[in-house]
Amino acid sequence: MLFFISTCFLSLWYGGSEDLNNKIALANDFIFWQIRFPKSITAILAGSSLALSGLILQIIFRNPLAGPYVLGISSGASLMVAASILSGSSFSFIYNYFYGKTYIVFSAITGSLIITFLILFISKKISSNVILLLIGLMISQICGALQTSLEYFSDSNSLKTFVVWGMGSLANTTQSDLYIYFTFYFIFMLSIFCFIKPLNAMLLGKNYASNLGINFYKNRFYLILISSALTGLTTAFCGPIAFIGIAIPILSRLIFKTSKQQVHLFSCILIGSSTLLLSDAISNSIFNSISLPINMITTFIGAPLVIYLMFKTKYW
Amino acid sequence: MMNDKECISIKNADLGYLKNNNHHTVLRNISASFFMGEIVGIVGINGIGKSTLLKSISGLILPLAGEIFINQIPRKQMSLLELSQQISVVLTERIEGFNLTVYDIVASGQMPYSNSFNQLFKNHKVYINEAIKACNLSAHINKLSSELSDGLFQKTIIAKALAQQTPIMLLDEPSAFLDYASKHDIFILLKKLSEEKNKCILISSHDLDLLIKYCTRLLILSENGCELISSKKAKENKSFQIISGGHIQQYY
Repeated sequence: MLFFISTCFLSLWYGGSEDLNNKIALANDFIFWQIRFPKSITAILAGSSLALSGLILQIIFRNPLAGPYVLGISSGASLMVAASILSGSSFSFIYNYFYGKTYIVFSAITGSLIITFLILFISKKISSNVILLLIGLMISQICGALQTSLEYFSDSNSLKTFVVWGMGSLANTTQSDLYIYFTFYFIFMLSIFCFIKPLNAMLLGKNYASNLGINFYKNRFYLILISSALTGLTTAFCGPIAFIGIAIPILSRLIFKTSKQQVHLFSCILIGSSTLLLSDAISNSIFNSISLPINMITTFIGAPLVIYLMFKTKYW
Repeated sequence: MMNDKECISIKNADLGYLKNNNHHTVLRNISASFFMGEIVGIVGINGIGKSTLLKSISGLILPLAGEIFINQIPRKQMSLLELSQQISVVLTERIEGFNLTVYDIVASGQMPYSNSFNQLFKNHKVYINEAIKACNLSAHINKLSSELSDGLFQKTIIAKALAQQTPIMLLDEPSAFLDYASKHDIFILLKKLSEEKNKCILISSHDLDLLIKYCTRLLILSENGCELISSKKAKENKSFQIISGGHIQQYY
């Protein structure tokens, strides 16, 4: 099993990198270290964060529909970015203070934090998982509506900036961004491994988990916090990336027919990052001169995959 | 045999749910004591509060008033982990999905004793295999829980409670869905456990004839509150006659 994980990881990772190298003939050191390398690392971090975040949420809600999108975390981030880019002219002093990208990252993190704390506040009041999931969906819809109205009233230049951001990109992270990204990623990643036992117990539902000595509400609070942080961080640096969060945990359960969540934690990290690396490779290699938006590729891979898995799997 | 060690004691408790800060009391002013080595049947009509009683004892819901003592310790002072090593529950809800197999569900019974990575060692597996054997599940251990019939799932979840190795077991309608032979098998198994391992077992069920046959005492829940009687005297009891609708006399 471990061998399979490592081979699938290696083949996809190096396969992806080779595709990248073939794209431009003069793949010199500079291009490799300054563009390819940060981009690949970003793909690994983003893919694994989203997959893990999806895995955690699917376990908490005991529902394969759950993913980083449903709690509205991504939408919150998008809304804040929309607000900051589209109203850029009226807050030009802030815009000048934080130049371009840092500004976007900052507002995306703010947006996801606001929604996260809103969800956590609601989760303390609501005991039913399904209702919490529905509230998350509604919050995400509200954010979407607000965002649309902002788009409607904005000028074409800033609208374009925002739409491009919304397509997702792995190429916008510099090395200094990566240090920040990796540090937080590492902290949250490690903290997930403290929750292996609660995650396994939560598969049995609230009542049986409590009867096995697991405080359901407390663990749910921390796990939502971790998964939102991972999503928010990723959205901040790469824009909203679709379908990794929902498809990878389902795929992982289909490949590894086990209920041990420690296995799925590792496999989600590996499959998630390799899928995003592969998508990145595809997006760069279809056309010679331009790279397609990453969101397009992940949706084309992810959505049919989810439909196929739903037909294939008998576990739901 | 039943001895004097009191393991569950409910003192003047109001049991029910707290919803939107409103008390929704199901059982009012309940007092009862249960002892090690006895097997008690809980009877009552639908909606009278059998599940509420079992959930309150197991700590899944808090009593609205009064106090519940587990081994003479107020339950409020016990942590969830301590409680999980004292009480195991069998509920009516079904567990599905996430590749959970029969073995996984039974093995989760050892969770209160495993390390934080949930690893299972030899000592854990002994109890798990024992529980699987006791419930006749050896042929099904690799089946997915979503593929199980209701009866097999019921046995699985009972095996999980056995694997939890607790002195107190609470079972909410364990005989529902089971075939005739399995019903008796489960009750015989529970009776054996209570006698040999000196466990205190509480069973809610609508199979009144089985409860009379295998239980030492019956807790009868009715509009007037609760009554603890010896199961041998059940047929003379007025509340029991109302619950059985008078039909039970035909068999005995």
